[in-house]
Amino acid sequence: MNIAHVVTSRMFQLTMATAVVVLLGACASPPPPAPPPQSYVALLPSPDGSIGKVVVQGQRGEQFLTLAQQGALLDGSQPPFAVSTAQLERDFGAAMKARPALPEQFLLYFEQGGAQLTAESQRLLARIVERAQTRLSVDMSVIGHSDTQGAANANEALALKRATAIAEQLRDLGLKNAVMVVESHGERNLLVPTPDDTAEPRNRRVEITLR
Amino acid sequence: MKIPHHKALHALLAGILAFMATSASAQTPPTPVGYVKTVTGQAWVTTAGQRLPAAPGTAIMIGSQLKTQADATLGVTFKDNTLMSFGPDTELTVDEYLYEPAQGLLKLGTNLVKGSLNYVSGVIAKLKPDAVAVKTPTGIIGVRGTQFVARVEEVK
Repeated sequence: MNIAHVVTSRMFQLTMATAVVVLLGACASPPPPAPPPQSYVALLPSPDGSIGKVVVQGQRGEQFLTLAQQGALLDGSQPPFAVSTAQLERDFGAAMKARPALPEQFLLYFEQGGAQLTAESQRLLARIVERAQTRLSVDMSVIGHSDTQGAANANEALALKRATAIAEQLRDLGLKNAVMVVESHGERNLLVPTPDDTAEPRNRRVEITLR
Repeated sequence: MKIPHHKALHALLAGILAFMATSASAQTPPTPVGYVKTVTGQAWVTTAGQRLPAAPGTAIMIGSQLKTQADATLGVTFKDNTLMSFGPDTELTVDEYLYEPAQGLLKLGTNLVKGSLNYVSGVIAKLKPDAVAVKTPTGIIGVRGTQFVARVEEVK
C-alpha cells in the first residue's frame, strides 16, 4: 500500500461519510430557505394609510397581493411571501427616498355668476403661493368649474374665465414662472351632484393642484 | 395665355407650400405628461433620440426613457399625480399616457427594464384601475390604487 493509495482511500471514505450526512440531513430537516427573490414586487400602504391591491401576471402564473409587505416574484411562479422591512430598505431604500413630495390640492369658491372669489377663498390664495414656493420645481393645474345654473356652453366659458382669472392672480402673487395648465370642465364635473339649473356654491369652484 | 397660366400654377403651388408650412408649425407641440422632481447623482431623460441630464423641471413625454446611473436616484410626478421614483442603475420607458378624465381617456403604461421602482398611484389608477400597467421582462404588474415597490434584476 503506497501513500497515494492511502490518501485516495481516506478521501473516498470521507466523501462517502459526507454523502451519508447530507442524505440524512435531507431526510431529517425542512428544505433550506429559498434564496432572496431577485425580480419581485411588494405591496405597501398608500401614503394615506389605505392598502390597495397588486396583480402580477407573470410568464409562469398570476398572483394577487392584498397585504402590506407582501411580495410576489414577477414571473408569478410562486405564492406570495412576506418581505421584511430590512429587505425593503436594502432593495428600495434609494428609490423610496427619491419619492417626490405628494401633490397638494386646494379648492377656491366663487360668488354667483362671475369670477369674484368668496372672501375666504381670496385669503387662501396667498397660502397657495406660499405652498407652491416651498417646492423645488412646481407645475400646477388650474381647473375651473361651474354649477348647473344656466346653459352648459355659457358655464363652460364662465368656468374658463374663473380659472384664467385665478391663474393670473397667482402669477401676480409670485408664481410668474410656474408651469400652469389652465382648463375648464364647465358643469361636467360637479363636486356636489345636482339637477340641471341649480345654483350650488360648492360647485362654483377652481381646483388647484400643486405638483 | 401661357405665361399667366404658369403664374397661376406657381401661385397655387406656393400657396399649397405655405399652407403646408403653416399647418406643420401650427401643430401643437406634444405636451409633457410629467416632470422630474428629484435627482441625486447622474440621471438621464431621453426623448425622441435627444438625451438630457435630468434636473428638477425636466419634462417627461410619451416615449421618454428614464435612466439612472449606478449611484443615482430620480423622482417623477405625472399629470394625474402618479409618483414614480427610481433607485440606482434603473431604466424605465413611458410607453403610453392618456389623461383626459372628462372624456374618460385614461392610460398609464410603462416598461421597467431593470432596477428598482417606487410607485404611488394617482388619479388614473383611482378612476380606471385596469388602465395602469408596469411591464417587466418576466411579468406585468397591475394596480388597484396603492403604493408598491418593484425590482428587476437584469438577466446577464
